Amino acid sequence: MDSRSPYYSQKSVYLDHNATTPPHPEVVARASQWLSVWGNPSSIHWAGRDPKNVMRDTRKKLAQILNISPLEIIFTSGGSESNNTVLKAVFEQAQRQAEADSKVTTSNRVSYRHEILISSVEHPSLMKTAEFLASQGAVIRKIPVLKNGFVDMQAYQALLSEKTLLVSCMLANNEVGSLFPIQEMARLAHAQGALFHSDCVQAFGKIPLNLKELNIDYATFSAHKVYALKGLGFTFVKKNSPYVPLIHGGGQERHRRGGTENIHGVAALGVVCDFFSDLLSKQGEIKQLRDHFEKRALTEIQGLQISASESERIKNTSHLLIDGVDGETLLMSLDLMGYAVSTGAACSSGNPEPSPVMLAMGFTREEAQKSLRVSFGLSNTLQEVDLFIEALKEVVARLRAVDIEMKVKNELHAKGDL
Amino acid sequence: MKSKGKVLVAMSGGVDSSVAAALLVEQGYEVIGATMQVWDYSTCDIEEGNGTCCSSLDVDDARSVADRLGIPFYVLNCEAKFKHSVIDPFLKAYLEGQTPLPCVNCNTYLKFDHLIKKMKELGCDYLSTGHYAQVITDDNGHSSIHTSTDDWKDQTYFLFTIDPEIVPKLLFPVGGMKKPEVRAYAEKAGLVVAKKKDSQGICFVGNKGYDKFIEENVPQQILASKKGLIKRYPSGEIFGEHPGIHHYTYGQSKGLGLTYHEKLFVIKVDASDNTVCVGDEKHLFHDEMEVIEPKFLNDLEDGGEYRIKIRYQHQGALGIVKKTERGFKVKFSQPQRAITPGQAAVLYKNQQLVGGGWIKL
Repeated sequence: MDSRSPYYSQKSVYLDHNATTPPHPEVVARASQWLSVWGNPSSIHWAGRDPKNVMRDTRKKLAQILNISPLEIIFTSGGSESNNTVLKAVFEQAQRQAEADSKVTTSNRVSYRHEILISSVEHPSLMKTAEFLASQGAVIRKIPVLKNGFVDMQAYQALLSEKTLLVSCMLANNEVGSLFPIQEMARLAHAQGALFHSDCVQAFGKIPLNLKELNIDYATFSAHKVYALKGLGFTFVKKNSPYVPLIHGGGQERHRRGGTENIHGVAALGVVCDFFSDLLSKQGEIKQLRDHFEKRALTEIQGLQISASESERIKNTSHLLIDGVDGETLLMSLDLMGYAVSTGAACSSGNPEPSPVMLAMGFTREEAQKSLRVSFGLSNTLQEVDLFIEALKEVVARLRAVDIEMKVKNELHAKGDL
Repeated sequence: MKSKGKVLVAMSGGVDSSVAAALLVEQGYEVIGATMQVWDYSTCDIEEGNGTCCSSLDVDDARSVADRLGIPFYVLNCEAKFKHSVIDPFLKAYLEGQTPLPCVNCNTYLKFDHLIKKMKELGCDYLSTGHYAQVITDDNGHSSIHTSTDDWKDQTYFLFTIDPEIVPKLLFPVGGMKKPEVRAYAEKAGLVVAKKKDSQGICFVGNKGYDKFIEENVPQQILASKKGLIKRYPSGEIFGEHPGIHHYTYGQSKGLGLTYHEKLFVIKVDASDNTVCVGDEKHLFHDEMEVIEPKFLNDLEDGGEYRIKIRYQHQGALGIVKKTERGFKVKFSQPQRAITPGQAAVLYKNQQLVGGGWIKL
């Protein structure tokens, strides 16, 4: 089935690349080739040969892009699985260790590291995993992220202690786009003997990443945010880091993740790897679109602010607060005109609740409800951005007029009734 | 074909609102479908979507109907508003010994207020629902709400709080049809909901029954404070204790936990001392009632005779309506059984909905 085109208009413009990206044209062009690669990579016979090559190829390319060893990559079903795996694995390992230690010594679990620090703006797959681990005996502490998009480093340092087992902080935030100083954060964590994980899903393909230089222990990646396919992600696990599989199975991924491999997803990601430097170099053009958009929005729409604009941001993301509009209807109205944007994380847009990320950053419920996220991508043009600005102006004007009309009416009613 | 205008259709996932949407598309309107997500149904025990409000299965049904019709469809989050303006008053009323009517509040604060705002924000000209009701415009251009063609299904009882100003903006496409015709239309149009069961009862309560719902949503110590005595009416003889006044409604005869040689009915629930009065059915009949917080869609003739419905399933009875400070008083020509506080009294002139209010103790 074709992706849905707008209902009552001709044009369609996709401005929600942080939710997902359309597959790279080359991925689409080569898709039919992989469909003939149907063998099981674990097979010894001829049918396993091609799929095995696909796996090895992509793994190698990714390792090169990230400056890591191919053996440090574990393919998963996506970012959520990777986030789940890392947190659960590290905690499980720590518990096993503590149990083993308590058999040897009587010091019990005094030195047992059981605190996990996570930033307050993590993806739900990380937040909820942390909540789950809290029910299993972990202590979860949140590293505050300020409204301006900066991590509160002082608070972070105060939270770190010899009890800290793991720190997890995303590299780029999916909603406001802020980049967090994970190299420095990892250094501080290591100094306390803690491990460091970063959800790199939103940063991957948008900024150059050198995991060796960042010196982190674990990282999460997703394929469908970089113009490959859904259903594939991978976990970076630094050599010799504690690890316990989440999915046990037939020995795939060197016994670290069971389940027959997602060959087609891996092949698609491999294609994207071939264009990766191109992808990164295009971020400059994408930034020009974003900056053009923000400049026009700020000058042509009153009562509009850009969130976290002082922080360093990924170049494609713009998060706006627009006075006097309801984000829910704003999104619907723009959709009816053919523009795909978001009010927050895609997972919650089906049922728009104020974004927990925004609330955690100190935005009010009202601010969260009048927010709009625009995330640009490879295929966007300046003309699209200009059309979008015009549409946005029109919708904002209408929503504000209705808002005032309803307020006046309700006031009159309140007076008339009494 | 030129569009007849843009319509926002409230789609519950039931057969009526699905057919409403289909009819509007057929008639040449530009249609946008929306479901209000009003309640977290994760604890709901309804297995099959009932098309009442929006259990997640109903949302799926509404969405598939919208897809079939090729219209845009959205889910609107109304949970906070629904809790505040429907659930909370519902619980409060039961704890005050009344029998509430949450569907009216849902119409007042969600369908015909929140959705009206959404309608305007989306640049729509009309709001449509699957209610069995009709909007009729007279020669002077004055629009009013009339009962539906299908007398049995008529839902105007729930619509008396609608602001008269918005009546011209309302479309009730199934109001001129009978239920079997609606089903036949759905079948013909290939809508998945054609054979869905009719909604029954209160959407957010589900199959568990309202007393269980109340127990799950009201703190234990408040419930405990609603215990009291069951007394014989009018003698005042004490029959025993009851676990809470929220278990009782006027006219109820089952589940009283009493064995007695004659059939007993709940005559009165007195929230001031938590007394539940039971007695002979004849005491349930009254020919007068007081109605408060009135809303009128059309001018009320003071002292005029109207047909008045005192509950949804009530056929309506003639009575004389006189204005009072807080609303109006009704003197029925025949005594009516179980006039129940918390229910609505809704006035009709022939088929025209005139207005209504809330029955007071």
